[in-house]
Amino acid sequence: MNELLIDIGSTYFKVCSKEGISQHFRDFKKNIYDDLNTKCADILSKYAKEDTYICSSANGGLSTLIIGVTNSFSLKYAKNIAYNSGINIIDTVLYGKIQESKIPSETLDVVIIVGGIDSVGGFFDEKLFAYLKKLTYSNIVYVGSSKDAHYLSENIANLKILSNIITDKLKLNEGELKEYLTNLYQEDIVGKEDIKHLYDITSNQIYSTPYIVNRSLPFIDAEFDVVNPFIVVDIGGATTDIHYSRDLVRDNMLTESEYDRLVFKKLGVYKSRETLIHAAKNNEFVYELLAYLNVTENILDEQSEKALRILMQLSIFLVLCKVSRLNSVYVTLKLEQLKSIVLTGGITKVLTHEECESIISFFYRKIMNLHHIPTIVLDSNYDIWTLGMVQQHHQRSETCR
Amino acid sequence: MSLLQRERDVIVNNEYVDKFDFEEIESFIKNAPKELFISHHFKKRDRLLVQPRGGFPTYKKMFALYEEFMKADIDVLPLTVDSNTRLNDYAMSKKMLALSEENEMDMLNGYPLVTHGYRTTRKMITHFNKPVSLRHGTPDARLLVETALGSGIFEIEGGPITYMLPYSKNFPLDKAFLYWKYVDKVCAKYSQLNEPINRESFGPLTATLVPPCVVIVIQIVEMLLSLEEGVKSFSVSFSQNGSMMQDIVTSNVIKKLSRFYADKLGYSDTVINLVYHQWMGAFPRNKELSDSLINTNTVIAAMVRADKIIIKTRDEAFGIPTMQCNAQSVANTKYTLRTLKGLPVVHDEEEEANLEAEVISIMDAVLSDHADTLWRKVFNSIRSGIIDVPFSPHIINKNEVITIRDDNGNIRIIDKGKLPISDKCFAYEKSKVNLPPTQTEVINKIIHDIGAML
Amino acid sequence: MKVVTGVVGNDIHVVANRLIDISLQARGCEVFNLGVNTSLEEFIDAVVETDADILLISSLNGEAEGWCRDLQFLRAEYQLRDVVFVIGGNLAVGEAKDSDIVPKYKSYGFDLVFHQVDLNTGLDALEQYMKDRS
Repeated sequence: MNELLIDIGSTYFKVCSKEGISQHFRDFKKNIYDDLNTKCADILSKYAKEDTYICSSANGGLSTLIIGVTNSFSLKYAKNIAYNSGINIIDTVLYGKIQESKIPSETLDVVIIVGGIDSVGGFFDEKLFAYLKKLTYSNIVYVGSSKDAHYLSENIANLKILSNIITDKLKLNEGELKEYLTNLYQEDIVGKEDIKHLYDITSNQIYSTPYIVNRSLPFIDAEFDVVNPFIVVDIGGATTDIHYSRDLVRDNMLTESEYDRLVFKKLGVYKSRETLIHAAKNNEFVYELLAYLNVTENILDEQSEKALRILMQLSIFLVLCKVSRLNSVYVTLKLEQLKSIVLTGGITKVLTHEECESIISFFYRKIMNLHHIPTIVLDSNYDIWTLGMVQQHHQRSETCR
Repeated sequence: MSLLQRERDVIVNNEYVDKFDFEEIESFIKNAPKELFISHHFKKRDRLLVQPRGGFPTYKKMFALYEEFMKADIDVLPLTVDSNTRLNDYAMSKKMLALSEENEMDMLNGYPLVTHGYRTTRKMITHFNKPVSLRHGTPDARLLVETALGSGIFEIEGGPITYMLPYSKNFPLDKAFLYWKYVDKVCAKYSQLNEPINRESFGPLTATLVPPCVVIVIQIVEMLLSLEEGVKSFSVSFSQNGSMMQDIVTSNVIKKLSRFYADKLGYSDTVINLVYHQWMGAFPRNKELSDSLINTNTVIAAMVRADKIIIKTRDEAFGIPTMQCNAQSVANTKYTLRTLKGLPVVHDEEEEANLEAEVISIMDAVLSDHADTLWRKVFNSIRSGIIDVPFSPHIINKNEVITIRDDNGNIRIIDKGKLPISDKCFAYEKSKVNLPPTQTEVINKIIHDIGAML
Repeated sequence: MKVVTGVVGNDIHVVANRLIDISLQARGCEVFNLGVNTSLEEFIDAVVETDADILLISSLNGEAEGWCRDLQFLRAEYQLRDVVFVIGGNLAVGEAKDSDIVPKYKSYGFDLVFHQVDLNTGLDALEQYMKDRS
């Protein structure tokens, strides 16, 4: 390998070169670029800008609000594209209920508007413009019926218009929106004070980490002891990502990728620790779980190494609950058919295989009523990420040729 | 340990399965009597093998069914699994099997093979010492096939396309390809120990006016997908079309081209067999008429010189047949075959040339897809409509091709959708049909053509 | 004329569904076929996205019973008063009289109900209904 691969996370970054992988905890007093330069000056100096590849989840990812006319088509399609483009924070508004919908207080990176097949128009009216006036956002894109494009662009400043994500046959068209969102990520980095200098050390596009991980999934069963269908759980400092084989769901969508992604934005172990604990306390099985782990609920208020381990175990449990039949708000995965669970991210540096296994066994026994559990693979050396980065690089060099 | 073996360990490690002893299974297969291998019988090529369908939930009733079949001098025993097992819902199979055993009532529509396990099932199969064919319909058949092979079932029907497009709306097709790769790898591995394990494709597809060129292409690509994993014995198949001439033409072309493509891709050591399915569409509700239809089918199977025939029963229109009725159907078919002598060899050069040209055009388009693996080429071809199965419920299938029967009962293409057949071939197809003047009448004719045997 | 069509329930034999699709196209309709095992919400949402004139649901084994009781409610919520709602197929489990079935389904919110009526007769009636309405 002649490339230098760097992943910038919210709590630490990792660097992969031919000498191997190293990881460094973030120094929050410095901005990311300075921090990276201080800690890895040696290695950075050895690689040219063209050979350096960076992906990042440090800025928390883009926040998105999708406004669509139905749940089964507009919103479902746009959500799928957004998640698979690496977007982290997604809220949706069903257009028919826009007047009752709450207004997000924070600034949104991008608003997506979608509805209708190309031959139909007249979905949107003053209500949309009134709602948009109350929002603050950096970008706005329209991916609905071409008939409404003109009317909307006359009434919405700086509206970007892309091809409809709903085809004339009501099928999904991922192309342009997916590309737009992945590029937006790049622009977002350029604009963020904390990391904009990263382009000083690479001449390649900076992708979001989950996008890279998602791309590696079709290849991982050939390289690891991972058996399809599987899920990859990436428990990070701020969010928890889950990537899943599409045969674990039944959703009548034809997509390009074999794996879909979903994000739980409030289940991180550092930055969203409070919401994680809150979710835990509201889970009916958690007290049994704490007893099973031989701790009391006081551990949740502690700031110790032990407390962190418990918190991470809890987050595995909660994520599994959220995709099981217990919770129908998110997608329901056929967890009884799951063959492998891959754990990646910072969690693999803290928990042992036994600790992961014990919590997953508990979940399967309590919630699924099963004694056999899927095989557990700890991606403790960031192999999935490396594979994804290399994959992305090869793909690019092939298109160039 | 190889990656495949590690995957196999994961697959057989299941809540509803007793521990697998792979070493013991290998030694069983190595020492199994040749009689159990259908590939061994195929090699003799001395008769048309007769095989029904059939499966009951309990061991006892399955055993009784096999006893009935043996009395009818059966050639190949079937093992049809229940629909819960097909969907990998072993919990439900287990529950329903228990209920069936307690109440002496069939709560499952087949034999729950995974639930019974290979140790139990093997006792029955070695007892009868006849080849057994696994009939299922499962997209992810990895555990099912491991269990079958351990049981002594050495013929596995199915494939990623033929078990998906007719049966599923949204199981991801790319995953089905991967799961069937596993099946083929395991079959190939065991094929080295004794006689080869036979893989069989399911040619009838939706059994609803599927044009022969589409059937043949799918048979060939599923065969190639198996052969590239090391399978050495493969059966292509199709079902009664509705015209004896078209059946004969289909048979001549499928035999020629499956051999051609196998050789072309470097698999000349493979044995290829032909299986003929009796009418797979709707059966008459009159049992005597059903007997007559079955008998006609047997004659055609002999005319197309198939190696195996899969038969129906006079109870077809009413659901699962009784074991006596099923065995009687075997006996009738055997009788027809015994008394049917001096069959002429028939060809129709014009029809064969046309069908051959259609198949080659589609195969060319599939093989020249830009993807780097055969399965992905096929996957892309289905997605783009180069392969299009009429009346498939699956969301990936284009459903643009429209077919109708001509005056002689031949299935003809009147809308080719994205099928890459030449203008000449398409003109030939259309020249054979006199389409009714209005669209409504065309639809009525299609409805009538689907139910041709009613 | 735009028509959204599909099948209630898990019957994977789609012959009837595909024939409806072809027949409607032959009659000059633009067809959005959602296939088998379609949920009520998917049907309604497809009508919204395509601004369809007709929703034609088929049910083969009496599965529509119970399934479409929310129809009235959804119809009001999405303001789909102008859309013609049609259901056809085998609408009852076992033997049942037309005089029982038709009023029942009409009360669920269907404008036209075809129980065990053959395809073209049903579509002719639908065409006539659309003519009379306009």
